[in-house]
Amino acid sequence: MGSSKGVESKMTGSFNSSRIGRHLKPQHHWGWIIAIYLYLAGMGAGSFIIGTLIHWFTGSTKLMEIRPFTLQLDIAKATLLWGPVLVAIGAPFLILDLGIKRRFLYACLNPKTSWVARGFLILSSFILFGLISLILSLSPDLRTYIGTDGIRGLETVALILAFATALYTGILLKSVKHVALWNTYLLPLLFLISALSTGSMSLLMLILGMGRTLLQGIFSSSLIKFLMGVEQILIIIEGIVLVLYLYRVNQTNDQGAQGGLSVSLLLKGELKLLFWLGIVFSGFLFPFILESFFSRFPEYPALVWFAGISLLLGGLLLRYGILMAGVKNQIPMERWIEAQHLLGRLSLKEK
Amino acid sequence: MHGKVLFVDPEKCTGCRNCEMVCSVFHSGVSNPTRSRIRILKWEEVGLYLPMVCQHCETPICTEVCPTKACHKDLENRRVVIDPKKCIGCKTCIMACPFGHPFFDPIDRVTCKCDYCDGNPQCVLFCNPKAVSYIDADLINVERKREAAKRIADFLRPGR
Repeated sequence: MGSSKGVESKMTGSFNSSRIGRHLKPQHHWGWIIAIYLYLAGMGAGSFIIGTLIHWFTGSTKLMEIRPFTLQLDIAKATLLWGPVLVAIGAPFLILDLGIKRRFLYACLNPKTSWVARGFLILSSFILFGLISLILSLSPDLRTYIGTDGIRGLETVALILAFATALYTGILLKSVKHVALWNTYLLPLLFLISALSTGSMSLLMLILGMGRTLLQGIFSSSLIKFLMGVEQILIIIEGIVLVLYLYRVNQTNDQGAQGGLSVSLLLKGELKLLFWLGIVFSGFLFPFILESFFSRFPEYPALVWFAGISLLLGGLLLRYGILMAGVKNQIPMERWIEAQHLLGRLSLKEK
Repeated sequence: MHGKVLFVDPEKCTGCRNCEMVCSVFHSGVSNPTRSRIRILKWEEVGLYLPMVCQHCETPICTEVCPTKACHKDLENRRVVIDPKKCIGCKTCIMACPFGHPFFDPIDRVTCKCDYCDGNPQCVLFCNPKAVSYIDADLINVERKREAAKRIADFLRPGR
């Protein structure tokens, strides 16, 4: 009886991981490269969203002369609108992941049904409009030439595309319908909030970094405090959405959906170190604690740097962890075989 | 070959993986199972093997997610095919297929899938236990019913 029980538990263990061998293993088709692509696209879009709103409501400006060209550049505005540069750095990572890289332009041929193709178009449009906004923000002469309404219209289009980019990173995974961990509307929401959080942190770090050199005194300390407050609120909202997301996915165990197994893989399986140390501690707890300290001791800006690096690392690992833990749902035939053999074992036990 | 599909009987499969070998030889000229269009899933501990082949779905999700239309439905032959000249190797179809079918060819760097070997599937020819057969789609249910009836008859046979 004892040995029969042993066989039973051993068998159930292997069945849970039927597709990929003895233990449930992370998927390996989309790895670090896609995680970096999603991360930079999200962070760039988030940075642009926060930066544009600050730019609209504060109107900070700092002109710098470039000699010997007698060119004046507004580096304060450019700092706020640097997000598209990040997305432009991230986009080649998609190309890097392709089997045949030289065919990357084919990736936009089926926008009617494919989210990869739609994403290609959304990202390209955002990079285009965002970079135009960035270039226009750099040059006061060009801004005068185009006019306030034209600039505002262009920035609004870029802002909408930035939201689309941040949401798209989650929708791309959701469009792969047969992975329970990805097939929920909470994933695009989680990625959007994470994009805003990492984007605002990257902006904060850039402002602080530039503040020591080029932008001294341009961005007020109250703006930095405000950004820090926004950052803390975003961390809390992101944490709540992450818990809700994992709880919701964990519930979807019907019809062969492997949501529960994906969550187990993340929380207590092979990816547990990545989840608890990389995502929870590095992405949420550590930066939140350091930011709280900074709001009490603003004379230590190093706290922001440590918090920022930790949070940005956490954002990347969040995407990587969710990508890795995406386990496909079981097909009816697999479920049928499992059920048949479990029943067979049960009848053997009865005998 | 119009309307014919591959029918798999997992109970007959011995897990010899001969089908993987002949498939890769036929399609790529080398005996390399990682380039095969059929794969055997193994439950080693219970001795169960399941040959995974493309189901050529009526509404395939692989064609829906393909960004280049390389993966498309050949309406004339009612099957899903991948055009290797258009495929960019993004692996989205691999992630999307619930049957885990399209496979990434590590040498050609594109996704490949079962194309029934132009109407003469090699896996069927070389499968000794006849676990894979190439039959009319309409006959699949008949085949399944026959198997089920056989099992019930075995079960009811006195002194089994």
